[in-house]
Amino acid sequence: MFEEFYTVAQTINNEYIVKAKEQGVQCIGYTCSYFPEEILHSLGIIPYRVKGLNVSSLSVADAAFGPFICSHPKCLLQHFADGDYSFLDGIVVTPGCDSMRRIDECIRKTAVNLNLPVVPPFFFHYAVPHKITEYSVKWLVDELQRFIDSVTEHFSLSFSYEKLKESIAFYNRMRKRLEELNALRMNYPARIAGADAVAVYVAGLSMPRDRFYSMVESLLSQYTGTNLEGRRRLMLIGSANDDIDFIKAIEGETAVVVADTLCYGPRLDVDYVDESDEPLHALALRYLNHSHCPRMYGGYKQRLAKVVEAIERAQVEGVVLQNIRFCDLHGAENGLLERDLEKMGIPCLRLEREYGPMADYERMRMRIDAFIERLEVRRLVCDRP
Amino acid sequence: MRQALKQYNFDWMLWRTYEAGSRLLAGTKQEYDIALRYIPYFRDPVKEVFKAKAGQLFLQMTATYLDNIVHAHQRGKKTCMTTFCFSPAIVYALDMVPVTLELLTVMMTFLYKRGTGEFLDYCNEAGFTETSCSSQRGSMGALLADIGTPIDMVVTDSPGVCDTNANAFSFFAAYKDLPFFQLNMPPWLVEERVTEYHVQDYKALVAFLEEQSGKKLDIDRLRQILTELQKQDELINELEQFLCYRPLPLPVTTCLFIYAGRFMFAGMPIYTRLLELLVNEGRENVRLHQQGIYTSHEKSRGFFCYIDHYTHSLRLWQMLQELNIGYSGNILSHFWADSNPPVIQNNWEEAAYSIKTGTLEDMLTSIAQINSRMPMIKSIRGPYDSPYMWLQDTLALASMYRADFIVYNGTPGCRNTWGMVKLLAQDTEKAGFPTHIMYADAFDDRVQSWDATRDRFEEFLRVRRLI
Repeated sequence: MFEEFYTVAQTINNEYIVKAKEQGVQCIGYTCSYFPEEILHSLGIIPYRVKGLNVSSLSVADAAFGPFICSHPKCLLQHFADGDYSFLDGIVVTPGCDSMRRIDECIRKTAVNLNLPVVPPFFFHYAVPHKITEYSVKWLVDELQRFIDSVTEHFSLSFSYEKLKESIAFYNRMRKRLEELNALRMNYPARIAGADAVAVYVAGLSMPRDRFYSMVESLLSQYTGTNLEGRRRLMLIGSANDDIDFIKAIEGETAVVVADTLCYGPRLDVDYVDESDEPLHALALRYLNHSHCPRMYGGYKQRLAKVVEAIERAQVEGVVLQNIRFCDLHGAENGLLERDLEKMGIPCLRLEREYGPMADYERMRMRIDAFIERLEVRRLVCDRP
Repeated sequence: MRQALKQYNFDWMLWRTYEAGSRLLAGTKQEYDIALRYIPYFRDPVKEVFKAKAGQLFLQMTATYLDNIVHAHQRGKKTCMTTFCFSPAIVYALDMVPVTLELLTVMMTFLYKRGTGEFLDYCNEAGFTETSCSSQRGSMGALLADIGTPIDMVVTDSPGVCDTNANAFSFFAAYKDLPFFQLNMPPWLVEERVTEYHVQDYKALVAFLEEQSGKKLDIDRLRQILTELQKQDELINELEQFLCYRPLPLPVTTCLFIYAGRFMFAGMPIYTRLLELLVNEGRENVRLHQQGIYTSHEKSRGFFCYIDHYTHSLRLWQMLQELNIGYSGNILSHFWADSNPPVIQNNWEEAAYSIKTGTLEDMLTSIAQINSRMPMIKSIRGPYDSPYMWLQDTLALASMYRADFIVYNGTPGCRNTWGMVKLLAQDTEKAGFPTHIMYADAFDDRVQSWDATRDRFEEFLRVRRLI
């Protein structure tokens, strides 16, 4: 049932993109969840959230980036340098974090240094503020307009507010369906494994959205559920993750990831765009308010509240706080979360990892197994009359 | 952290040490020489600073800065934790005391042989990442451990420019549950909507500071501070002229004094006095055709395109003098007033700030623009090869100072520069400047020992035939 989602999620290019490209449909990549796909959808362009999967060498990325940079953007750059993203007609770079925003220069300079056609024809630096105020929302509305002007001019397209409204409504419907999917693992007992759920989310960022929507509809109508009762219920928090193997490694045979706040995950879908508002303003508001990323400085308390709410709703037994090495934003926030959640009596495990092929699989498994043992003991103690 | 370290507040210790250091020259030469015997760890930095005529005042100024922090609450003033790239002028205008993390870290690494190692590590104990920038962690560790003057509020202006910086302040505010304000920086500098954003954001900051301090912004005081800043800019402009001469008519520490002083006391008369002393020394040396470094002759000149190396005893500056290397400036010593020499030479007025003191609106616009042109805030906000960004600034300044080579030095925590410094170096090499990337940590010798850093630097100079 999930094979198709896994196939799409675990590859860079896929048959849906290939077919769409053959029909002349354009595809634009983007680097950060603060970019509103709705605009591209309304223009008939496929939005593609770039992934860093299955990189076996960082030869080019290490030459461009310095040594103290998170391996996720490095993997993205390597894919660009290897020509894996040659199907993209454009790329939107967002200052999600310092490492990610430097993709801008690294792609352009790599193209020059290696004399390779790795820069997509359409290139846009999309500036998203780090806070929510009246003037930062206005800034983002202007930025959205600048993006629309730029993309329509580049691809000779005409923009329509009506179509944008339709796309906003479509994305809200899709979010609703994904919320239903998410509920399957959040409810007790969980009926879908975390890895399967993540496969669906990641696939959804890598293919034409209308097709994805019908696949999700079909999944929800036919899926009868898996019995995952008795597994320890975990929540996963921290750095971006598009790697399903990582979720599988955490779940193993004894746990299930019933909730997460990860980029590429359901946090992309939980907030709706106000369809009664002026479309650009509504989009700016939704994407800025959708602040589950520590790039929105000063928003820790709100994020903590959301985490606690998810823990209660999903009856989470333990929280895994992970960050990719050199991801200071999530690393530091994980420190705060560990302090505050442990104080509330919620067991936490902090993990630092590398992004990419799981070279440290056994080391990580050992720590997770020990954590699960801790949860087992806790359950025994708590259940004791 | 060792219990012993918790016996005294770290800022109090620093204050007493700098205070004593600033008085060393008050006695006779003999008394001074004897005193040095009793301060084995401190004598090298003291001697290095006193090589400049402005050295004593620089130490006094540092002691005053620390005195303000240590006694802030006793004097009824609020403390505002902030960052080096945030102009403290507005904090002074609201009669509060700035507590700049990076300055405190440097003050400590200069003096103490052990540096700030244990405070750096304490940040990790508190949950902060070890990969974050050491410039904040060095003193933040002490404040997290409550061995410093309590902080009343936190302000940073690095979001959009430097994540690790912004993240440190955001972490501290969350950890201590303190009021927090961030100024955002868009990735461009000169568009009208960018200016509008800077000004609106700055007005929100003023409202935040007024609320936290319980004081209304005093317009006359702000005007006075901005007028003083204008004076300081003029003095810096004159110093910039001297710093372009070869051989250098000023001590190699001049650049350090310029930026450290400005980070401590922008718009305050004590900083004006420091600049006046430096200018007088420059004028005198130029008149006498004598150089400011106390070595044989300037063999080569470097431009540091980022920051300096601050570990114990000002060894970077000692080394430069020993190797007869001239050092005129780095990216930190530039504040981009419209009258600043590189601005005039390159017709970059649109990227500079101008100070207008007519109305409150004029003043707020001016101070917002000053802040948005602070070191790093101006140049490293957008892609490094965009107009008015790092590459353009580096090449213009290196040319203006007649540098023979460029050096990058930072910290492993500096994600915003390590994301593209190799590319920058390729471009500066293409432009004809041999460029050396230091892999050291400017604030922590445990990452790479100073000996290794120096060996590699000297190797670069030899291989590129610069000495």
